[in-house]
Amino acid sequence: MIKDKTDDIKEISKYILDISGINLDESKAYLIETRLGGLIKEYECSSYKELRSKAETDSNKTIENKIIDAISTNETLFFRDREPFEVLQHKILPDLIDRRTEKASGLLPIPIRIWSAACSTGQEAYSIAIVLKELLPDLKKYNVRLFGTDISDSAIAQASYGTYNKFEIERGLSKGKLEKYFIPNGGNWKISDEIRAMVSFNKGNILKPFAGVEKLDIIFCRNVAIYFDLEERKKLFENIASVLEPDGFLIVGSTESLTGICPIFEPKRYLRTIYYQLK
Amino acid sequence: MKQLKILAVDDDPFTLKMLDKKLAKEGYDIETASDGVEAGKLISKKFYDIIITDLVMPGGVDGIDVLEAAKTKNKQTEVILLTAHASVENAVEAMRKGAFDYLQKPVNFYELTLCMEKIKNYKKLLKNAQDLREAMDVTEQNAAQTIQLLEMNVAELNNVVSEIRQVIMNQSIDPNKCVARVLDIVSS
Repeated sequence: MIKDKTDDIKEISKYILDISGINLDESKAYLIETRLGGLIKEYECSSYKELRSKAETDSNKTIENKIIDAISTNETLFFRDREPFEVLQHKILPDLIDRRTEKASGLLPIPIRIWSAACSTGQEAYSIAIVLKELLPDLKKYNVRLFGTDISDSAIAQASYGTYNKFEIERGLSKGKLEKYFIPNGGNWKISDEIRAMVSFNKGNILKPFAGVEKLDIIFCRNVAIYFDLEERKKLFENIASVLEPDGFLIVGSTESLTGICPIFEPKRYLRTIYYQLK
Repeated sequence: MKQLKILAVDDDPFTLKMLDKKLAKEGYDIETASDGVEAGKLISKKFYDIIITDLVMPGGVDGIDVLEAAKTKNKQTEVILLTAHASVENAVEAMRKGAFDYLQKPVNFYELTLCMEKIKNYKKLLKNAQDLREAMDVTEQNAAQTIQLLEMNVAELNNVVSEIRQVIMNQSIDPNKCVARVLDIVSS
């Protein structure tokens, strides 16, 4: 009986790995049971195997999307860890703008392309937009393309809507920024139209090849790879390297390391944090 | 968990007395205000965990105003609205403005204590989540410092190794000089 259960968990873990890249071994059985228990009941399945086969035969992918939503961790907050946004404001953007201005030789607008990879419910992308707005009052001089992608439909839906409850708002935002960039909306807060218009959100799996993606200047890919196994991490950062401008910037989570994962990136230290550039 | 501080607001002295008596008996630290104006004054001076307020009150300050004042003062305060049947729509509006729940009058005390229990559990969960988050932040900050230091050290060592490799691979350098150069690189 216990062996059957272990096999059943293995079966769904493999499926989760295939659809999302999230690596859940047997030690995470509790997580699978807590997060997928609701779907087992909703779709009246007697096992995870049955849930898997229902998901695979569901042509509009509703069940697959629900599994991804249930299993992915959407932990995020505005200005998470603070330092990466200080580096963005005081080092990365000024350096980039200097170089791009030189390259543009007087022609306007100057392109700045930023990607918030695995943006969850949008807090990181909007934090970047706020930094841009505060650093560059004359945004019209720049052709800013800022976009966020995430594998979860519901996360992208919330990000696009730009509405946050009091708990999401309380984390990371100063009172000044809250009043300046958010509008009270019932018991919630909605991002201002001006900041909303700076970001576009799309569904996307960062482990799939980035075909047709234009080169980017700055990529934020924080606290995502930690859920993947080593091979997937390598694949992810190689993919990222392939779409980053040669002088572009990559920011990863504060406890992540690219050592032994992607040697083509070189760490650089500024203030109390690290960013990466291609060697 | 500490004893919750409650403020009950109602212009109906009978309801107010009943709330005062019963909630004190349940062990809550309760204060009362006989209208919205008095409640406003108390809220501006003190923090309450829960405010139970009538929706319709005389004196120009109604339950919605009390809710707004409480939430402006401190978002941690939870508000339960008491409403007559006819004002249910306003109560729904209050929920949109951040009220925790509303109860219809006459107050069913059992229902009220259930609602208070819900708030207690909710606050407890919230506290747990905050504690966990703080613990996670501290752990993460410590880990980040160590990892970043290691990351920079490894990068530096890799540069040293590739410099040494270049010297060794360069066959035009005299082997004796080669050793001296390597020692130079290592000691710098």
